[in-house]
Amino acid sequence: MTNLLKATKVVVVLCLQFIIWSASVQAEVGNEPTGPFTFEAVNLADIETTDQITIKVSGTTGEVSWKAKNGEIQGTGNEVIFIASGKPDTEIITVTDASGQTGTLKFDVGGFLALTLNKIIFLFVVGFVGGLVSGFIGSGGAFVLTPAMMSMGVPAIMAVASNMCHKFPKALVGSMKRAKYGQVDVKLGVVMGISAEAGVLYGASIQTQIKEAFGDVGSNLYVSFVFVVVLAVVGSYVLRDAWKIYKQSGDANAEAHKVTKLAKWVHSVNIPGTMMYFPSIGTKISVLFTIPLGFATGLLAATIAVGGFIGVPALMYVLGVPALMASATELVIAFVMGMGGTIKYAISGYVDVRLAMIILAGSLFGVQLGAIGTTYVKDFMVKVVMGVIMMLVLVSRGLKVPVYLAEIGEIDPLSPSLVSFLDITSYIMLIAALAVGAFIILYALVSGYRKHTRKLAAESAGLVEQSKSKVTEVFPTETTQLSPIGRFERILFANDNSEFGVGAKREAIRLVQRIGGNLSIISVIVNHSANEFMAQRTFEKESQDAIDNLEVVKSQAIDAGIDCTISVHQGENITNEIISASEEKHSDLIVIGRRGKKGLLQSIMGDRTNEIIYRSSCSVLVVPKAAKIKGKSILLAVADGSHSSDMAAVAAGKLARHLNAPLIVLSVTSAKLKEDAEAIVARICHFLRDDGVTVESKVVVNEKSATTIVETAKNIKSDLIVVGSQGCADLQKTLLGTSVSKRVIGTAECAVLVVKT
Amino acid sequence: MTNKSVVLNQALLFGTYSVILYFLLYHFNDLILDFSKQGGWYFIIPIVIAFTFSVIHGAFTGYFWDLLGIKAKTVRKN
Repeated sequence: MTNLLKATKVVVVLCLQFIIWSASVQAEVGNEPTGPFTFEAVNLADIETTDQITIKVSGTTGEVSWKAKNGEIQGTGNEVIFIASGKPDTEIITVTDASGQTGTLKFDVGGFLALTLNKIIFLFVVGFVGGLVSGFIGSGGAFVLTPAMMSMGVPAIMAVASNMCHKFPKALVGSMKRAKYGQVDVKLGVVMGISAEAGVLYGASIQTQIKEAFGDVGSNLYVSFVFVVVLAVVGSYVLRDAWKIYKQSGDANAEAHKVTKLAKWVHSVNIPGTMMYFPSIGTKISVLFTIPLGFATGLLAATIAVGGFIGVPALMYVLGVPALMASATELVIAFVMGMGGTIKYAISGYVDVRLAMIILAGSLFGVQLGAIGTTYVKDFMVKVVMGVIMMLVLVSRGLKVPVYLAEIGEIDPLSPSLVSFLDITSYIMLIAALAVGAFIILYALVSGYRKHTRKLAAESAGLVEQSKSKVTEVFPTETTQLSPIGRFERILFANDNSEFGVGAKREAIRLVQRIGGNLSIISVIVNHSANEFMAQRTFEKESQDAIDNLEVVKSQAIDAGIDCTISVHQGENITNEIISASEEKHSDLIVIGRRGKKGLLQSIMGDRTNEIIYRSSCSVLVVPKAAKIKGKSILLAVADGSHSSDMAAVAAGKLARHLNAPLIVLSVTSAKLKEDAEAIVARICHFLRDDGVTVESKVVVNEKSATTIVETAKNIKSDLIVVGSQGCADLQKTLLGTSVSKRVIGTAECAVLVVKT
Repeated sequence: MTNKSVVLNQALLFGTYSVILYFLLYHFNDLILDFSKQGGWYFIIPIVIAFTFSVIHGAFTGYFWDLLGIKAKTVRKN
């Protein structure tokens, strides 16, 4: 995430430089009356959508009739009110008098499109579907959104600008989401994004030159030609590759990533001074390869609005990036390009932020869903979706080629009905491309999700069975226990391989050595990646280190005369993994180290320690680095006569017997409650003495409970403080506050046992 | 507080922010468009709006799917 923020800063600086370069384009507003009549109207040049103006005509004979191309005429006679339509377009008003003479007034209606509910819903839905595809394959949606907006009456340049304006925040959210899953190579995205920006500028200038030389038709023909060639070559290759992977593996569980020969060659080339390491590739490559690829991506983005049709295949086949990572990294490139493009158009005042935000409303739902979808599919599914979309778009654009060729006279003119048919079919094919892509993604997501849920359910059922049999088998004679709270037979030590865990490791081994029971040692590797390839790569590397470290701990335990099991867990959240491991192993006690430095409460006790204490269903022993439980004395801090205090007393009593240590029962109370506190302490002491424990009682009147407990433990040289789970309720309520338990755990020099009820 | 209620609270919080933002966009629509069509340094307006919406609405949509139980698959290996 930090990398992403850094990258964002770089992009902002680059974009600001880009602003200086950008040339602003001004809209031309014309006002052309023709015919024998004279028209009078105020501010005709400034008229905008839905504006109302009065238009007067003179020089007519008899009755006149008015007709407007888009807007509405109210009134009759020589002076009427004209209401501009909701579309920014050229307006033509025609006036015919009784003698049959006709005059026209032509002017441009500026401003932005007037939005209706239907249009809003349409944009939201198209935005959602476009976002879904973008979140999954890294790009897409733009090729439908721009024509969709144009069909609603948005001028082409505003449609492109507004599309860009929704694209970069969508790409930002999508890339952040997929970065969470470990699929994004931010460095590669930014490096390629910068060269892509250059490609966008060059592509835009080519477009302008073609438009100037050959007009709109020439420009459209060029765009369609690029579409057809690129999609035919790249799309068929991507689809063929996906099919090959599927066939070779024989089923839909195909594992995907194979580095192409070209990518292997790129990896092998060493050009000094240009080499850069990219995590997604796993090796250094020359930026001289990434620059042209980024440039081509930008060039295509400026031409057909979907740079990802080049960018993603280039990342996959030329650089050897796994498909899921390629599509995720493409989102970073899209963000860089989209932001640059938006600034360019915004400087010229073409961005309709309302349209962009309505599309964004839908697309952010879609992009999140698409990103989640990638975690349930195999790598090759990205290729399938991309290939299918590319083929359908290819057909769509291909249908338009004869129309453009006829318009420039290269082939015989087509009949209007055929032109209309080709136009409609082409547009439907565009929508179909997006819809089919979305369908495949949703299908893959739903089937992957169901499969995963079934697997989890099966695992869970297995665990329940296992748990039932073990409970019967292992604890049949444990009837002497007043409560399982006092049982410390299954101890779980969460090893974080840091200096903070040294004390916890030592005391976990010593505790099992004295009390007996089983010791499980786990290490958790944080890996957000749901990308199988990256997860595998990261897991293999980190798990080897973790296993090496666990083996060392295991040998120390064996030296101490105890056996233990070791395991490495991988997951997004360390706390979740520790808690689920303790539940799977039916642990009685979790032993963890205390992180942080003394003196700063917030840093003393990290949120993770709090969270583990709060969420675990068994007791937790927090051991500072230097703390040793030698058995000098145990301090039991009781708050009241509650069930949790009694449970803490049971656990403390059991430990005192095992460690042969005296137990001091302490209650820190106010003067008002002193008598009650004394009665509670006396009752607990009585119970513990009956159980054969050496007990002393202590009631201290002081408002600063935590400080008193810690100071008392220090003064009487206690090496263990025991508190009940009442403290955990406090923890829950005041995780950031000043709860007694939190302060005790955070500031005590000795170990603290939190007994859960 | 359970994870689900935390997610629900966050979804409601960011959902409310999101609705407020869209209401403000609707309410000040003319003013915003007047500024943004002037171009030049006013380019900053659509950019800031886009970033703000992406953060707030993006957070909401994330919590929304989370609330529906649609979460990314996690990988665990023992």
